[in-house]
Amino acid sequence: METPLSDGDALAAAVSGDGTGLATLYDRYSRVVYSLALRIVQEQAEAEDVVQEVFAQMFRQSERYDSRRGSVSSWLLTIARTRAIDHVRARKRLPNGRFGREPEAAAENVPDPRANQESQTLTDEQVQRVRRALGDLPAEQRRALELAYYDGLSQSEIAERLKEPLGTVKSRIRAAMMRLRDSLELDKRVKEPQAR
Amino acid sequence: MSHEELRELTSAYALGALDPGDRERFEAHLASCAECQAEVRSFRPVMDALARTIDSRQPSPQLRARVVDDIGPRESRVQDSRPAQAFRPATVIPWFLATAAAIALAALTPYTVELRNRTRELAGVVRDLSARLAETDRQLVAARNEVSLLAAPDVRRVDLRGQSAAPQAVARAYLSRSRGVYFVASDLPQVPSDKAYQLWFVTPSGPVSASVFRPDDRGRAEIIADVPPGMPNPNALAVTLEPAGGVPAPTGSMYLVGPLN
Repeated sequence: METPLSDGDALAAAVSGDGTGLATLYDRYSRVVYSLALRIVQEQAEAEDVVQEVFAQMFRQSERYDSRRGSVSSWLLTIARTRAIDHVRARKRLPNGRFGREPEAAAENVPDPRANQESQTLTDEQVQRVRRALGDLPAEQRRALELAYYDGLSQSEIAERLKEPLGTVKSRIRAAMMRLRDSLELDKRVKEPQAR
Repeated sequence: MSHEELRELTSAYALGALDPGDRERFEAHLASCAECQAEVRSFRPVMDALARTIDSRQPSPQLRARVVDDIGPRESRVQDSRPAQAFRPATVIPWFLATAAAIALAALTPYTVELRNRTRELAGVVRDLSARLAETDRQLVAARNEVSLLAAPDVRRVDLRGQSAAPQAVARAYLSRSRGVYFVASDLPQVPSDKAYQLWFVTPSGPVSASVFRPDDRGRAEIIADVPPGMPNPNALAVTLEPAGGVPAPTGSMYLVGPLN
């Protein structure tokens, strides 16, 4: 039996012109990338355009992929979210500045010297726990989080949309993110800064 | 902004939801703060998990061909062309020319190695300089925000006086509705780790949080915060002592108050 290609090897193969590398990554991640794009742009044909753009960008910028910054899949999801939000903002003629300037979401900019792909792949059980935690969030926290995550709104844009004080929105988003993080029950090593 | 306040921004930063001013201030700090870097990283699995909580949907089967057949060959052909051309002529070159070429190549090798090392070294220098330039840019942006706030046509000075909880404390703020508030306090009492100070805009319809902060070990604090859009004009600024994460409405005792004329 052949051992399956790791994501990193598949990416390297794709870039060197080996079609199976790209096909492997497509078969592994097109579904989750498409689902995310569809949730954000809400339109099937446009979501498929986003998927194509995501894989093209992965291909073009493969030299920018750094395994210390996370797995190939989280890189793809980050590109997908950014692209999809750009589509929506372009459609609504909202300024693209905040996302346009830096194509990767913020968390991607911080390399983790200890990271490797295995430790970062979420288990189905962890995803289930986050789904439950999301459902258990107070409605106003979930609303603020969704406006940030799916609509790509900034905190003050959310405050304006919800007619709530900015400080309130900030604390809701923080509370929601902390609860979701807690629900993952990551091991201590990842969750806390290393002791010196 | 104090470290505690900046640390409060980690989750929104990971989410990509910070407003530009906050983001620049946070990034300037993040570059040199291992604790905040670890905190930002700790939210990355949350971002991944959020994407995966969405109901899974299958794209149309035609999309696979669009992606795999279109992107792959088109973009990789460019990279493939060079080695192919370099190889073909070699088969028809007479052996003596091939030998001469090999000798010339051997002579070139130490030089190529040196060139390669030099290139690598220069690439390192460029990387280093770019990083330093980015840091300078960030500081410049922070300084420019401060100057732009202080030079705003609608800027107003507010002097805050220590209340009975801290009569020695004193603070001054510059408030511009359009560009935010710049607040500097001194001689504030230290606070236990589960508490923090919170700065409020006191408006006719109630207090609105501006920022949560902790003083440094000399009792000083410096903050730039946004003014929430749509907030009624404040008639005072106030600082109270609150639980560490801040609260939606003040609960603790008043430490500083300053009226706006």
